[in-house]
Amino acid sequence: MHTAISDLDVPGTQSTPFISSHWETGELHMKGNSYPENSFEFFGQVFTWIEAYLAGDNGPLTLRLTLIYMNTSSVKAMMDILDLLEEAHEQGRAVEVNWLYDPRNERVMEMAEEFREDYTFPFHIVPTPDEDD
Amino acid sequence: MTKTRASQAGREILERVQALLEDPDHQDNPLYEALEGLREYALAQDQRLERLMRISDGYHLLERNHTQSLAVRCDRQLRRMEKMARISDQYQKTLWEVTESLREAANQDPLTGLANRRFLMERLKDEIQRAERKDTRLALCLMDVDHFKRINDRFGHEVGDTALCEIAGAVRQGLRRYDLYGRWGGEEFLLVLPQTGLSEAGAVIDRVRQEVGQVTVGEGEPLTLSASFGYTCLHVGEDPNDILKRADIALFRAKEAGRNRVEQEP
Repeated sequence: MHTAISDLDVPGTQSTPFISSHWETGELHMKGNSYPENSFEFFGQVFTWIEAYLAGDNGPLTLRLTLIYMNTSSVKAMMDILDLLEEAHEQGRAVEVNWLYDPRNERVMEMAEEFREDYTFPFHIVPTPDEDD
Repeated sequence: MTKTRASQAGREILERVQALLEDPDHQDNPLYEALEGLREYALAQDQRLERLMRISDGYHLLERNHTQSLAVRCDRQLRRMEKMARISDQYQKTLWEVTESLREAANQDPLTGLANRRFLMERLKDEIQRAERKDTRLALCLMDVDHFKRINDRFGHEVGDTALCEIAGAVRQGLRRYDLYGRWGGEEFLLVLPQTGLSEAGAVIDRVRQEVGQVTVGEGEPLTLSASFGYTCLHVGEDPNDILKRADIALFRAKEAGRNRVEQEP
């Protein structure tokens, strides 16, 4: 039996997205630009939370991503996270990604499509109706 | 007899030796014991060889599997790298586009699409330096649309904006391909004429004045536009402000003298 680790509640900065997670509902939200000085460290906390959650009970996992600019190491970290989801999905776990983008910025949508390639779990790319939240 | 990989010849000699040993006639042969020992030794060696080969084969298989899985992993990593590079390239392209549009915004007047004051000032510095370096002349002209406030008051700002765009077109029409021009602010335009002396500049600027005179605004009883011009030439050792100040003095005179005219300061 795994115990819940504490939820993430990281305020956003100019170079790092805001992160918030809800263990109860299995939701994790990231929003903003991502070019941290140390991507490994920054995404490490997200990775740890997701790993712990997936190791826990069988609740579904939903990622809500509203990421605008990402540097290369953030792209890599995100691919690692999505790989983690794919693995869980293959083992029958309910996982889902909702990638939100500003319809005025089509390129973000194209990049989300690139991310989605190779994954078999539900991966939705959704235009935000307006300033979301 | 144990099944071994021993060669046909090996098997045959061992069978012959066994047959000889089993013959009761040879029981007392002095070589009997030595031969029996030799046969046992040969059999043991055979088994050792068998084990050795099995182990060696096992390693071989292991190595092959390992290589295969390495190849698969390498392939997967390569795909990941390519994907990462692709996405990263896209982000980079986005940044480049943003930079490009910022650069445009920084240099361009959004209404008329002409160069803005900031850009003109940079270019003016360049042109002054070039004129000094190459010892060529440089004319500069300030142009101000006459009674522009009346257009805005009478027709509204939207018509005023349209008028400014049409005036921008008229300026472009009147100038030569290598002249530099842009919106200096409000209804004021700056014209820079490289490699041009005073008299030649006067002719070019008067052509612009006539082009502006073709522009009309409003429907029904359209208003004909005009502009006043003040121009001058670069003196040795001047900075942009010096030459601008002199053009402004000429422009002021053109306004004082009744507008829709071109005045010069030497």
